[in-house]
Amino acid sequence: MADSDLTPKFAPFLGMAGIAFAMIFGCIGAAYGTAKSGIGIAGVGVFRGDLIMKASSTHPLHPSTSTQSSPANTPLQSLIPVVMSGILAVYALVVSVLIAGNLKPPPQEHYSLFNGCIHLACGLSVGLTGMAAGYSIGVVGDSGVRAYMQQSRIFVGMVLILIFGEVLGLYG
Amino acid sequence: MVSQEPARAWSPHSLIHTRRGIFITGTSILGGGVKAPRIRTKNLLSIVFCEVVAIYGVITSIILSSKVSAINGDALHSGNNYFAAFAIFWSGVLVGMCNLVCGISVGINGSSAALADAADPSLFVKILIIEIFSSVLGLFGLIIGLLLSSAAGDFSAIS
Repeated sequence: MADSDLTPKFAPFLGMAGIAFAMIFGCIGAAYGTAKSGIGIAGVGVFRGDLIMKASSTHPLHPSTSTQSSPANTPLQSLIPVVMSGILAVYALVVSVLIAGNLKPPPQEHYSLFNGCIHLACGLSVGLTGMAAGYSIGVVGDSGVRAYMQQSRIFVGMVLILIFGEVLGLYG
Repeated sequence: MVSQEPARAWSPHSLIHTRRGIFITGTSILGGGVKAPRIRTKNLLSIVFCEVVAIYGVITSIILSSKVSAINGDALHSGNNYFAAFAIFWSGVLVGMCNLVCGISVGINGSSAALADAADPSLFVKILIIEIFSSVLGLFGLIIGLLLSSAAGDFSAIS
Protein backbone atom coordinates (compact mmCIF):
# COMPACT_ATOMS: atom_id res chain seq x y z
CA MET A 1 0.00 0.00 0.00
CA ALA A 2 1.47 3.30 -0.99
CA ASP A 3 1.86 5.97 1.61
CA SER A 4 3.48 9.36 1.28
CA ASP A 5 6.11 10.76 3.57
CA LEU A 6 3.45 12.76 5.35
CA THR A 7 1.31 9.78 6.32
CA PRO A 8 3.78 7.19 7.58
CA LYS A 9 2.54 3.98 9.05
CA PHE A 10 3.75 4.77 12.54
CA ALA A 11 1.69 7.97 12.75
CA PRO A 12 -1.23 6.26 14.56
CA PHE A 13 1.27 5.18 17.24
CA LEU A 14 1.63 8.82 18.26
CA GLY A 15 -2.09 9.49 18.14
CA MET A 16 -2.88 6.52 20.31
CA ALA A 17 -0.08 7.49 22.64
CA GLY A 18 -1.89 10.79 23.05
CA ILE A 19 -5.08 9.01 24.04
CA ALA A 20 -3.22 6.79 26.46
CA PHE A 21 -1.25 9.57 28.09
CA ALA A 22 -4.34 11.75 28.46
CA MET A 23 -6.18 9.02 30.31
CA ILE A 24 -3.24 7.71 32.31
CA PHE A 25 -1.99 11.03 33.63
CA GLY A 26 -5.53 12.27 34.20
CA CYS A 27 -6.22 9.17 36.27
CA ILE A 28 -2.99 9.63 38.21
CA GLY A 29 -4.05 13.15 39.14
CA ALA A 30 -7.58 12.13 40.00
CA ALA A 31 -6.36 9.16 42.02
CA TYR A 32 -3.92 11.26 44.01
CA GLY A 33 -6.56 13.91 44.69
CA THR A 34 -9.14 11.36 45.78
CA ALA A 35 -6.75 9.39 47.96
CA LYS A 36 -5.16 12.35 49.70
CA SER A 37 -8.47 14.13 50.31
CA GLY A 38 -10.01 10.84 51.39
CA ILE A 39 -7.40 10.42 54.08
CA GLY A 40 -8.20 13.88 55.39
CA ILE A 41 -11.96 13.37 55.22
CA ALA A 42 -11.79 10.04 57.02
CA GLY A 43 -9.59 11.56 59.68
CA VAL A 44 -11.98 14.44 60.19
CA GLY A 45 -14.97 12.14 60.19
CA VAL A 46 -13.74 10.32 63.25
CA PHE A 47 -14.00 13.52 65.27
CA ARG A 48 -16.78 15.44 63.47
CA GLY A 49 -18.94 13.00 61.55
CA ASP A 50 -21.51 15.70 60.85
CA LEU A 51 -19.10 17.46 58.52
CA ILE A 52 -19.13 14.65 56.02
CA MET A 53 -22.84 14.23 55.78
CA LYS A 54 -25.95 15.24 57.63
CA ALA A 55 -27.67 13.18 60.34
CA SER A 56 -24.85 12.24 62.60
CA SER A 57 -25.00 15.16 65.05
CA THR A 58 -27.13 13.08 67.42
CA HIS A 59 -24.56 10.29 67.63
CA PRO A 60 -23.61 9.53 71.26
CA LEU A 61 -19.88 9.68 70.57
CA HIS A 62 -19.99 13.23 69.31
CA PRO A 63 -20.30 16.15 71.69
CA SER A 64 -23.00 18.58 70.70
CA THR A 65 -21.24 20.90 68.29
CA SER A 66 -24.33 22.08 66.52
CA THR A 67 -23.68 25.67 67.55
CA GLN A 68 -20.61 25.84 65.37
CA SER A 69 -22.04 24.79 62.02
CA SER A 70 -25.64 24.74 60.95
CA PRO A 71 -26.73 21.22 59.99
CA ALA A 72 -28.62 22.53 56.98
CA ASN A 73 -25.34 23.56 55.31
CA THR A 74 -23.20 20.56 56.12
CA PRO A 75 -24.45 17.76 53.85
CA LEU A 76 -21.69 16.46 51.58
CA GLN A 77 -19.59 19.58 52.06
CA SER A 78 -16.39 17.73 52.76
CA LEU A 79 -16.77 15.61 49.65
CA ILE A 80 -16.09 18.60 47.39
CA PRO A 81 -12.34 17.81 46.90
CA VAL A 82 -13.24 14.23 45.96
CA VAL A 83 -15.83 15.30 43.42
CA MET A 84 -13.41 17.80 41.89
CA SER A 85 -10.79 15.09 41.49
CA GLY A 86 -13.32 12.93 39.73
CA ILE A 87 -14.05 15.77 37.34
CA LEU A 88 -10.39 15.74 36.28
CA ALA A 89 -10.77 12.15 35.13
CA VAL A 90 -13.83 13.21 33.17
CA TYR A 91 -11.82 15.92 31.39
CA ALA A 92 -9.31 13.27 30.35
CA LEU A 93 -12.12 10.95 29.27
CA VAL A 94 -13.69 13.60 27.06
CA VAL A 95 -10.43 14.43 25.33
CA SER A 96 -9.62 10.73 24.83
CA VAL A 97 -12.97 10.12 23.20
CA LEU A 98 -12.51 13.14 20.94
CA ILE A 99 -9.11 11.95 19.78
CA ALA A 100 -10.28 8.36 19.33
CA GLY A 101 -13.08 9.58 17.12
CA ASN A 102 -10.52 10.79 14.61
CA LEU A 103 -8.51 7.59 14.54
CA LYS A 104 -9.40 5.15 11.81
CA PRO A 105 -7.37 2.51 9.95
CA PRO A 106 -5.68 3.45 6.66
CA PRO A 107 -8.30 2.44 4.11
CA GLN A 108 -10.79 4.83 5.64
CA GLU A 109 -8.59 7.70 6.69
CA HIS A 110 -5.08 8.73 5.84
CA TYR A 111 -3.67 9.64 9.22
CA SER A 112 -0.84 12.06 8.75
CA LEU A 113 2.15 12.57 10.98
CA PHE A 114 0.84 16.06 11.64
CA ASN A 115 -2.37 14.60 13.06
CA GLY A 116 -0.38 12.18 15.14
CA CYS A 117 1.81 14.84 16.67
CA ILE A 118 -1.11 17.11 17.38
CA HIS A 119 -3.05 14.36 19.09
CA LEU A 120 -0.01 13.40 21.12
CA ALA A 121 0.50 16.98 22.25
CA CYS A 122 -3.17 17.35 23.03
CA GLY A 123 -3.22 14.20 25.11
CA LEU A 124 -0.09 15.12 26.99
CA SER A 125 -1.35 18.60 27.73
CA VAL A 126 -4.66 17.50 29.20
CA GLY A 127 -3.05 14.58 31.00
CA LEU A 128 -0.17 16.41 32.61
CA THR A 129 -2.26 19.41 33.61
CA GLY A 130 -4.79 17.00 35.06
CA MET A 131 -2.02 15.39 37.07
CA ALA A 132 -0.88 18.77 38.37
CA ALA A 133 -4.43 19.79 39.21
CA GLY A 134 -5.06 16.50 40.98
CA TYR A 135 -1.94 16.92 43.07
CA SER A 136 -2.97 20.41 44.13
CA ILE A 137 -6.55 19.36 44.86
CA GLY A 138 -5.27 16.50 46.97
CA VAL A 139 -2.98 18.60 49.07
CA VAL A 140 -5.47 21.45 49.49
CA GLY A 141 -8.37 19.10 50.11
CA ASP A 142 -6.51 17.22 52.81
CA SER A 143 -5.31 20.24 54.76
CA GLY A 144 -8.47 22.23 54.01
CA VAL A 145 -10.77 19.58 55.43
CA ARG A 146 -8.65 19.27 58.54
CA ALA A 147 -8.78 23.06 59.01
CA TYR A 148 -12.51 23.06 58.34
CA MET A 149 -12.97 20.72 61.25
CA GLN A 150 -11.60 23.34 63.58
CA GLN A 151 -12.90 26.49 61.96
CA SER A 152 -15.98 26.24 59.82
CA ARG A 153 -15.60 29.71 58.36
CA ILE A 154 -12.61 28.54 56.42
CA PHE A 155 -14.86 26.57 54.10
CA VAL A 156 -15.28 29.33 51.52
CA GLY A 157 -11.54 29.89 51.36
CA MET A 158 -10.91 26.18 50.89
CA VAL A 159 -13.40 25.96 48.04
CA LEU A 160 -11.87 28.99 46.33
CA ILE A 161 -8.41 27.44 46.44
CA LEU A 162 -9.83 24.16 45.16
CA ILE A 163 -11.46 25.93 42.26
CA PHE A 164 -8.19 27.57 41.31
CA GLY A 165 -6.56 24.16 41.32
CA GLU A 166 -9.33 22.64 39.23
CA VAL A 167 -8.94 25.39 36.67
CA LEU A 168 -5.45 24.11 35.90
CA GLY A 169 -7.02 20.97 34.58
CA LEU A 170 -9.61 22.95 32.68
CA TYR A 171 -6.93 25.02 30.95
CA GLY A 172 -5.34 21.80 29.81
CA MET B 1 6.45 -10.93 14.84
CA VAL B 2 5.29 -7.36 15.16
CA SER B 3 1.63 -8.20 15.41
CA GLN B 4 2.19 -10.39 18.44
CA GLU B 5 4.53 -8.25 20.46
CA PRO B 6 1.96 -5.89 21.89
CA ALA B 7 -0.18 -8.67 23.20
CA ARG B 8 1.99 -9.45 26.18
CA ALA B 9 2.68 -6.13 27.78
CA TRP B 10 -0.23 -5.08 29.90
CA SER B 11 -1.99 -7.60 32.09
CA PRO B 12 0.75 -7.64 34.73
CA HIS B 13 0.25 -3.92 35.34
CA SER B 14 -3.27 -4.01 36.63
CA LEU B 15 -2.61 -7.13 38.63
CA ILE B 16 0.49 -5.72 40.31
CA HIS B 17 -1.34 -2.77 41.62
CA THR B 18 -4.41 -4.71 42.57
CA ARG B 19 -2.04 -6.61 44.79
CA ARG B 20 -0.71 -3.35 46.17
CA GLY B 21 -4.19 -1.98 46.78
CA ILE B 22 -5.22 -5.15 48.56
CA PHE B 23 -2.00 -4.99 50.58
CA ILE B 24 -2.63 -1.43 51.73
CA THR B 25 -6.25 -2.10 52.63
CA GLY B 26 -5.60 -5.49 54.12
CA THR B 27 -3.01 -4.32 56.60
CA SER B 28 -5.36 -1.62 57.84
CA ILE B 29 -8.25 -4.03 58.20
CA LEU B 30 -6.04 -6.42 60.13
CA GLY B 31 -4.64 -3.67 62.31
CA GLY B 32 -8.00 -2.12 63.03
CA GLY B 33 -9.49 -5.54 63.59
CA VAL B 34 -7.32 -6.09 66.62
CA LYS B 35 -9.23 -3.51 68.62
CA ALA B 36 -12.54 -3.68 66.76
CA PRO B 37 -13.08 -7.13 65.29
CA ARG B 38 -16.51 -6.19 64.01
CA ILE B 39 -14.95 -4.36 61.07
CA ARG B 40 -13.75 -7.55 59.42
CA THR B 41 -16.65 -8.43 57.21
CA LYS B 42 -17.88 -5.02 56.09
CA ASN B 43 -14.42 -3.92 55.09
CA LEU B 44 -13.92 -6.87 52.84
CA LEU B 45 -16.01 -4.75 50.49
CA SER B 46 -12.95 -2.55 50.01
CA ILE B 47 -10.95 -5.61 49.04
CA VAL B 48 -13.64 -6.44 46.52
CA PHE B 49 -13.25 -2.99 44.97
CA CYS B 50 -9.57 -3.72 44.46
CA GLU B 51 -10.34 -7.09 42.96
CA VAL B 52 -12.69 -5.49 40.46
CA VAL B 53 -9.71 -3.63 39.07
CA ALA B 54 -7.94 -6.92 38.41
CA ILE B 55 -11.02 -8.20 36.65
CA TYR B 56 -10.95 -5.19 34.34
CA GLY B 57 -7.42 -6.19 33.40
CA VAL B 58 -8.47 -9.77 32.73
CA ILE B 59 -11.39 -8.66 30.58
CA THR B 60 -9.13 -6.45 28.51
CA SER B 61 -6.53 -9.18 28.13
CA ILE B 62 -9.11 -11.60 26.87
CA ILE B 63 -10.56 -9.16 24.39
CA LEU B 64 -7.18 -8.08 23.10
CA SER B 65 -5.78 -11.58 22.87
CA SER B 66 -8.70 -12.60 20.73
CA LYS B 67 -7.63 -9.93 18.26
CA VAL B 68 -4.06 -11.15 17.92
CA SER B 69 -3.51 -13.51 15.03
CA ALA B 70 -0.54 -14.67 12.98
CA ILE B 71 0.00 -12.92 9.69
CA ASN B 72 2.59 -13.95 7.12
CA GLY B 73 4.11 -12.37 4.10
CA ASP B 74 3.75 -8.89 2.73
CA ALA B 75 0.64 -8.17 4.71
CA LEU B 76 2.76 -8.08 7.85
CA HIS B 77 3.72 -4.51 7.12
CA SER B 78 0.49 -3.12 5.81
CA GLY B 79 -0.85 0.09 7.31
CA ASN B 80 -3.98 -1.61 8.52
CA ASN B 81 -2.06 -4.23 10.48
CA TYR B 82 0.24 -1.64 11.97
CA PHE B 83 -2.80 0.34 13.10
CA ALA B 84 -4.33 -2.73 14.71
CA ALA B 85 -1.07 -3.63 16.45
CA PHE B 86 -0.61 -0.11 17.82
CA ALA B 87 -4.20 -0.07 19.04
CA ILE B 88 -3.74 -3.34 20.89
CA PHE B 89 -0.53 -2.10 22.49
CA TRP B 90 -1.82 1.25 23.60
CA SER B 91 -5.16 0.04 24.79
CA GLY B 92 -3.37 -2.53 26.91
CA VAL B 93 -0.96 -0.01 28.38
CA LEU B 94 -3.82 2.40 29.01
CA VAL B 95 -6.01 -0.08 30.86
CA GLY B 96 -3.05 -1.42 32.80
CA MET B 97 -1.73 1.91 33.99
CA CYS B 98 -5.15 3.40 34.76
CA ASN B 99 -6.10 0.39 36.84
CA LEU B 100 -2.68 0.57 38.47
CA VAL B 101 -3.30 4.02 39.91
CA CYS B 102 -6.93 3.23 40.58
CA GLY B 103 -5.91 0.21 42.64
CA ILE B 104 -3.57 2.25 44.80
CA SER B 105 -6.19 4.94 45.31
CA VAL B 106 -8.90 2.43 46.22
CA GLY B 107 -6.46 0.79 48.61
CA ILE B 108 -5.64 4.02 50.41
CA ASN B 109 -9.30 4.98 50.69
CA GLY B 110 -10.19 1.49 51.82
CA SER B 111 -7.62 1.60 54.55
CA SER B 112 -8.90 4.94 55.82
CA ALA B 113 -12.44 3.53 55.64
CA ALA B 114 -11.40 0.57 57.76
CA LEU B 115 -9.78 2.75 60.40
CA ALA B 116 -12.69 5.20 60.44
CA ASP B 117 -15.09 2.28 60.73
CA ALA B 118 -13.16 0.96 63.70
CA ALA B 119 -13.57 4.31 65.41
CA ASP B 120 -17.20 4.95 64.48
CA PRO B 121 -19.45 2.50 62.60
CA SER B 122 -21.63 5.15 61.00
CA LEU B 123 -18.69 6.47 59.02
CA PHE B 124 -18.18 3.42 56.84
CA VAL B 125 -20.86 4.21 54.30
CA LYS B 126 -19.70 7.81 53.99
CA ILE B 127 -16.10 6.90 53.30
CA LEU B 128 -17.35 4.22 50.91
CA ILE B 129 -18.68 7.00 48.71
CA ILE B 130 -15.14 8.31 48.36
CA GLU B 131 -13.97 4.82 47.48
CA ILE B 132 -16.59 4.58 44.77
CA PHE B 133 -15.20 7.78 43.22
CA SER B 134 -11.79 6.11 43.18
CA SER B 135 -12.97 2.92 41.55
CA VAL B 136 -14.71 4.87 38.82
CA LEU B 137 -11.23 5.77 37.53
CA GLY B 138 -10.54 2.16 36.65
CA LEU B 139 -13.85 2.00 34.86
CA PHE B 140 -12.95 5.04 32.76
CA GLY B 141 -9.69 3.35 31.80
CA LEU B 142 -11.55 0.23 30.77
CA ILE B 143 -14.00 2.21 28.66
CA ILE B 144 -11.31 4.05 26.74
CA GLY B 145 -9.26 0.88 26.35
CA LEU B 146 -12.21 -0.93 24.83
CA LEU B 147 -13.02 2.07 22.64
CA LEU B 148 -9.49 2.08 21.31
CA SER B 149 -9.31 -1.66 20.73
CA SER B 150 -12.64 -1.64 18.91
CA ALA B 151 -11.28 1.06 16.61
CA ALA B 152 -8.53 -1.36 15.67
CA GLY B 153 -10.52 -3.84 13.70
CA ASP B 154 -8.94 -7.13 12.83
CA PHE B 155 -5.63 -8.14 11.38
CA SER B 156 -6.07 -8.82 7.70
CA ALA B 157 -3.97 -11.07 5.55
CA ILE B 158 -4.55 -8.78 2.60
CA SER B 159 -2.13 -5.89 2.33
